[in-house]
Amino acid sequence: MIGFVQNIVDALSLGSIYALAALGIGLLFGILRLINFAHGDFITIGAFALIVPSRNETAVMGIGSLPFIIMVPAVCAIVVIAALMSDRLVFRPLRRASSPTLMVASFSVGYLIQNSILVIFGARPKGIDLWSALGKQIAVGPLRVPQLELVTIGVTLLLMLALSAFLKKTPYGMQIRAAAEDFQMARYLGVKANSAIGVAFALSGILAAAVSLLYISQTGTLTNVLGVPLMLYAFIATVIGGMGSLVGAVVGGFTVGFLAVMLQAYLPDDLRSFRDAFVFGAVVLVLLVRPAGIIPTRALAQRV
Amino acid sequence: MTETPRRLIESVWLPACLSLALAICVVGVQLVGSESLRVTLTEMLIRLSIVVGIYIFIGNSGIISFGQIGFMCIGAYATAWATCDPTWKQIMLQGLPDFLREHTYPFPIPIALASSLSAAVAFLFGYTVLRLSGIGASIATFAFLVVVNNVYSNWTSVTGATSSIVGIPSLGGPWAALAFSCLAIVVASVFQHSHFGLMLRASRDDEIAAKASAVDVLKVRLVAFVFSAFLIGAGGSLYAQFLGILTPDMFYMSLTFITLAMLVVGGIGSLTGAVAGTVVVTLIIESLRALENGIFLAGEKFALPQGSQEIGLGIAMALILIFRPQGLVGGFELSPPLRLLERLRLRLGAPAQQSHDLVSRGD
Amino acid sequence: MGLLPKLDSSGSVGVAVAARAPNTADSDPIPVMESEAADLVADDITVAFGGLVAIDNVTLRIMRREILGLIGPNGAGKTTLVNCLTGFQRPNKGEIRLGGQIASAWSPQHFRKAGISRTFQAGRLFRDMTVLENVEVTAAGVGRLRQASRRMALEILDHFGIADKAQTIAGTLAYTDERRVGIARALVVAPAFVLLDEPAAGMTNAECDDLMTAISGIPDDFGCGVLIVEHNMRVVMGVCRRIHVLDSGRTIAEGTPSEIQTNRAVIDAYLGTGTPR
Repeated sequence: MIGFVQNIVDALSLGSIYALAALGIGLLFGILRLINFAHGDFITIGAFALIVPSRNETAVMGIGSLPFIIMVPAVCAIVVIAALMSDRLVFRPLRRASSPTLMVASFSVGYLIQNSILVIFGARPKGIDLWSALGKQIAVGPLRVPQLELVTIGVTLLLMLALSAFLKKTPYGMQIRAAAEDFQMARYLGVKANSAIGVAFALSGILAAAVSLLYISQTGTLTNVLGVPLMLYAFIATVIGGMGSLVGAVVGGFTVGFLAVMLQAYLPDDLRSFRDAFVFGAVVLVLLVRPAGIIPTRALAQRV
Repeated sequence: MTETPRRLIESVWLPACLSLALAICVVGVQLVGSESLRVTLTEMLIRLSIVVGIYIFIGNSGIISFGQIGFMCIGAYATAWATCDPTWKQIMLQGLPDFLREHTYPFPIPIALASSLSAAVAFLFGYTVLRLSGIGASIATFAFLVVVNNVYSNWTSVTGATSSIVGIPSLGGPWAALAFSCLAIVVASVFQHSHFGLMLRASRDDEIAAKASAVDVLKVRLVAFVFSAFLIGAGGSLYAQFLGILTPDMFYMSLTFITLAMLVVGGIGSLTGAVAGTVVVTLIIESLRALENGIFLAGEKFALPQGSQEIGLGIAMALILIFRPQGLVGGFELSPPLRLLERLRLRLGAPAQQSHDLVSRGD
Repeated sequence: MGLLPKLDSSGSVGVAVAARAPNTADSDPIPVMESEAADLVADDITVAFGGLVAIDNVTLRIMRREILGLIGPNGAGKTTLVNCLTGFQRPNKGEIRLGGQIASAWSPQHFRKAGISRTFQAGRLFRDMTVLENVEVTAAGVGRLRQASRRMALEILDHFGIADKAQTIAGTLAYTDERRVGIARALVVAPAFVLLDEPAAGMTNAECDDLMTAISGIPDDFGCGVLIVEHNMRVVMGVCRRIHVLDSGRTIAEGTPSEIQTNRAVIDAYLGTGTPR
């Protein structure tokens, strides 16, 4: 029983990370109908922003060694700049392009980022130590919970509240929400303004940066493709939650997180390394029952 | 001209022209090229068969699939199972069933095994996933690629996990590859001109109108998906026999990107585009590779850093998408000069026939 | 009011057009399906999207070889009803029947194979394909072989006077040709019923006259029943013998054009003063 509760905490923590990543993806899908396969690579940029650029095997902390209050905004700023640049250079010229074209374009941006990092930082994985003090476990009754997991869950809740306030209270936020709810209508009303899209990219960048920091503090390993599995899980989350719904993205993120942790915990040993396959298989089964996801939106419904 | 010969000319013309162009390349390289050029050409022809296989699904259905390279992986490993030395398999791949572990099989059994296994997996996966919306299906194919990589990288007793599989016997050079890529082109062309191709392209242009036209959209998509996987599985088999060595990571993001780039650069909507794109992207890759190795300019050695190849290709792809989203060929398909043929017939004294359907088709 | 133009006698244009020389049996290129008696029926159906009721207990019957008009103000539920009758929308309550068969759960392609076809308001041609291929797709979908499909498609294009456009890419067609191809596509392989969703939208008066001639001939030339959804009253009153009026998802009137023109509820609905919403 205690083991099960422990798993639940693990699942909440992992689900938080997937939910944050899924929100970043869902924002851009809502306003642009962009399937952003580069989102995982924004996360990778956030992680590599911590260290000094070099091809040496051992990583030297750069920004990562600055005080927390400077370091976090700096990492966010770097990811946001990367996100805005990708919009300005690639996605803005493609505003009128079809969904498949945008999808291939984002795949290209991701591929470019992965290989640029490879050229700058070299191919070997690098270990870094971010907030290892948080790795300590604290006792909650009979439970022993890593502090980091609680921090992850807490930060995620705060970010979600902040995002929700932003989307509800500010003009840009309302435009983004309107676009996500009814893409066609929002387009008629002129939401396609580049500034609103820019804000969405920036928000998506901040969410990616948050995922970088939380994820790296847990794993401590940098590779040029570290964002790819996160991106994929996040996409699966948006699909299972219901494409185009931000609430769906969060629900989907936690669903996928739960699936992953529970399968990791309860699969027999020799099947455990195939966990991803089982998670995706389970997701496909859910989609067979609910093809539009857990929270279907009108966003993708075909109009006759 | 009556219907039947016209349709025959239509369906034969395109593959004939494309195959001829490729054959000229091979003859040229065989006559004057170096050994390394021959290897490059062989690899290009194998990749061409893969790109054509991908085109069958993506080009006709309009649904982007990121998972087709997963079928290449399945085909390549199936070939290794059927061709590697049994004593090696008994040690490294103990989990294989007896008929694979204890025997080796001659051409063409490994290729048949590779393509049927790919097609079977494609059927199961496609049957469940292709009913999703276009975007949902694309994401699911991406997940498929990752799952295949995950399974083949961890299933130690059957795939050797991340350790390389070695000792796959070679099947021959450019001529074998040429034969196979021409075959792929013929299959793609026949499919495109078939009723299934027609219905699938209708669903690409307008899914709702296709349903109202009695098209079973799921079925035609599934047929193309399985066909595509069948060809790609065979291509993977050929690739394994060309390289002689396999790891799961050879069939992952990079190859997915390169093959997709080939299709997009040439133009996703036509078979001519698939072939042109493969040739152009190979030229880009090879030039960048040469620059990475260094060239001498005025006595100074000049070299691009490792990784420039991928970055250059990424930039080329983005530029094409922005400035020429229909690809270099722009949806153009080589079509037979029917008017010219008709004029020849007139000169030969055949009865003239005024008909609208003699105008050459532009699809 | 200009909305409901008076005609001297009910459906005078339709009668005049239908009176032209009917096709003789041997020149009729399209075989007529056997199930002549089978009507297409929406029996007391209701469709709701969330809390919004789009169709509210509507019953409608289309008979073979008749032209039925379906009219109503915007948002009355006309297209939703057409969607129900072609498999694009499943009714929450009630049944769709074709002859003796219950068709409520059929897919759109099943409806088309069973001989119920439709056009779309937006045209929805396959833009990158030729006109011939646009029509051929349906024949292929219904299961005809390649040669037969092409022959049938050419015949129907010929019937509508657009055979010279057979090899034109559909996306480059002029608007009226686009409409004609849409109708040709719906009529290939001898459907039993064809449902036309606003075929006259955006047409000039002269173009409407051509269209009316073409529509009036459908029952005799193809042996099928027609449902026409249309805002252009000149067209509706001209070609239909019977008209069904919807407002806010409910049937408010049924009858001949002259009955509809004098119906109080219909006039109120169009003027926006009558039936509560």
